[in-house]
Amino acid sequence: MTGCRRLALALALCLSTPAQAGATLDRVRHSGVLTTLVITDYPPFGFINARNELDGFDIDTAEAVASRLGVGLKLANPGWETIVSGRWQGRWDLCVCSMSPTDERAKVLNFPATYYSSPAWLVVNKDEQAIKSIADISGKRVGVGTGSTYEAYVNKTLVIAGGKPLEFPFHDVIVVPGDETVNFRNLALGPGLRLDAIVSDLATAKGNIEATHALKLVGTALYGEPNAVATDKGDPDWDAEVARVIAELEADGTLGRISQKWFGADITRQDE
Amino acid sequence: MSDPAPDPVHPGSRPVPVPSTGRFRAKVWLTWIVLLGLLGFGASRLDLDFALIEQKLPFLLGLHLGPDGFLQGAALTLFVTAASMVAALGLGVVAALGRLSANPVAFALSTFYGSLFRGTPLIVQVLIIYLALPEIGIVLTGLSSGIIALSLNYGAYLAEMIRAGVMSVPPGQREAARALGLAPWLIGWKVVAPQALRVIIPPAGTQFVSMLKDSSLVSLMGLWELNFLAQSYGRASYHYIEMLVTAALIYWLLSLVFELVQFRLERRFGRGVAGSDRRG
Repeated sequence: MTGCRRLALALALCLSTPAQAGATLDRVRHSGVLTTLVITDYPPFGFINARNELDGFDIDTAEAVASRLGVGLKLANPGWETIVSGRWQGRWDLCVCSMSPTDERAKVLNFPATYYSSPAWLVVNKDEQAIKSIADISGKRVGVGTGSTYEAYVNKTLVIAGGKPLEFPFHDVIVVPGDETVNFRNLALGPGLRLDAIVSDLATAKGNIEATHALKLVGTALYGEPNAVATDKGDPDWDAEVARVIAELEADGTLGRISQKWFGADITRQDE
Repeated sequence: MSDPAPDPVHPGSRPVPVPSTGRFRAKVWLTWIVLLGLLGFGASRLDLDFALIEQKLPFLLGLHLGPDGFLQGAALTLFVTAASMVAALGLGVVAALGRLSANPVAFALSTFYGSLFRGTPLIVQVLIIYLALPEIGIVLTGLSSGIIALSLNYGAYLAEMIRAGVMSVPPGQREAARALGLAPWLIGWKVVAPQALRVIIPPAGTQFVSMLKDSSLVSLMGLWELNFLAQSYGRASYHYIEMLVTAALIYWLLSLVFELVQFRLERRFGRGVAGSDRRG
């Protein structure tokens, strides 16, 4: 009998909407575990290190958040598409995965706090002569990560939530959305062979420039891209708690120290 | 390459035993070695970072447990494949029985299932099971979602193969067994199954080899299997090709083992049938 009742209760719990007010905060407090989404192929923010462990700026930040909350940390990596589609259904509590808050994403996710800012930059092959600034990409093939803010930027649709409107000084760009790793390899083959340019994050670009010796940065920063921690919709208490913790970690210098460790510079200060 | 004389027989296309098996075999091996050499030469032109491959190989093979204390790499690939294989076989048998059944509901259930899962891409099924089921309250882990998707998909194909195998057994066999007064389950087990398996095993074996490779789709849900690790290591180290080549090699070796097992099974269930030993 009790078995039956317990089953019925479990079913009822399963079928009820998990994202009620306070549900995530309750879950984290009761389980004592913060289940955090990270990415595995975005060094130095999130990657698998030589000891086969998840490592990087995002992972260190997630650890700092969990320890400030006084709970354990459990990392999950179900893939970018799954993360950005929202509707986590109680599977994950928080995403510390270098996500830029955009209007589109804000429809399915909440962004309680920005934790670092990184500029977007134009990258070309080192032998490229024609492209000297972003204005020169008109009519060119430009690679961008599928579903990234860079894709929205070259499509002239990017609106950074809470940011000032961007300028798009180019036209008729042939946008090539795809895998960023594959895009960088294609650009390294030669100027115009498969791609003419790439719009990407500065840290990502620098990593690829060092690795290939076949690429270079051109022009100036296109726009400063805030990166925020994200939560599922429906628990304002949890969002407030996350915002409080991130603000604390920023104020006491914890985030700055993590940034110094990975970049030798503090990218967590918001320079408006 | 050194022997320009064209092979007088075209063994693959003819259902006759090959004459002088020894010479034929030697030439086959020689050709394989030449092709392997060519492939190796091509790979050497890629300027691969072997130190990185050596460092990552134990993880790719899954010799250690992952950070979550579960299998990873090729070991997890094999686990997913084996678990899906068992479940797919069960589903396939049940669906085939439904397909052969005189009951219209059983027939409809079976054909509906087959049509749905053979008519949609596996990658779409994987994502729907992982992302859509939670919407109706069924929250599965990546591992169980992956195994369920692979099982459902391959079960639908296996059902057709099992049905074809059962139908290939001449009706006279069943009639004769009934005339002898054998129980229905005994007819199925001792008369139909052994003859049907001869027809089922070759295509079913091929299915399992392709399941081994299709299991890489579960990397979409963040399972640390062979393809996922190869992708993550490759991107993070900026040495993508190294990891892709290594993963390809491991998949290939595993497939070879599967094919060997299939070959043995084919020989065992083909006993006593003319021509079945021609590759032996």
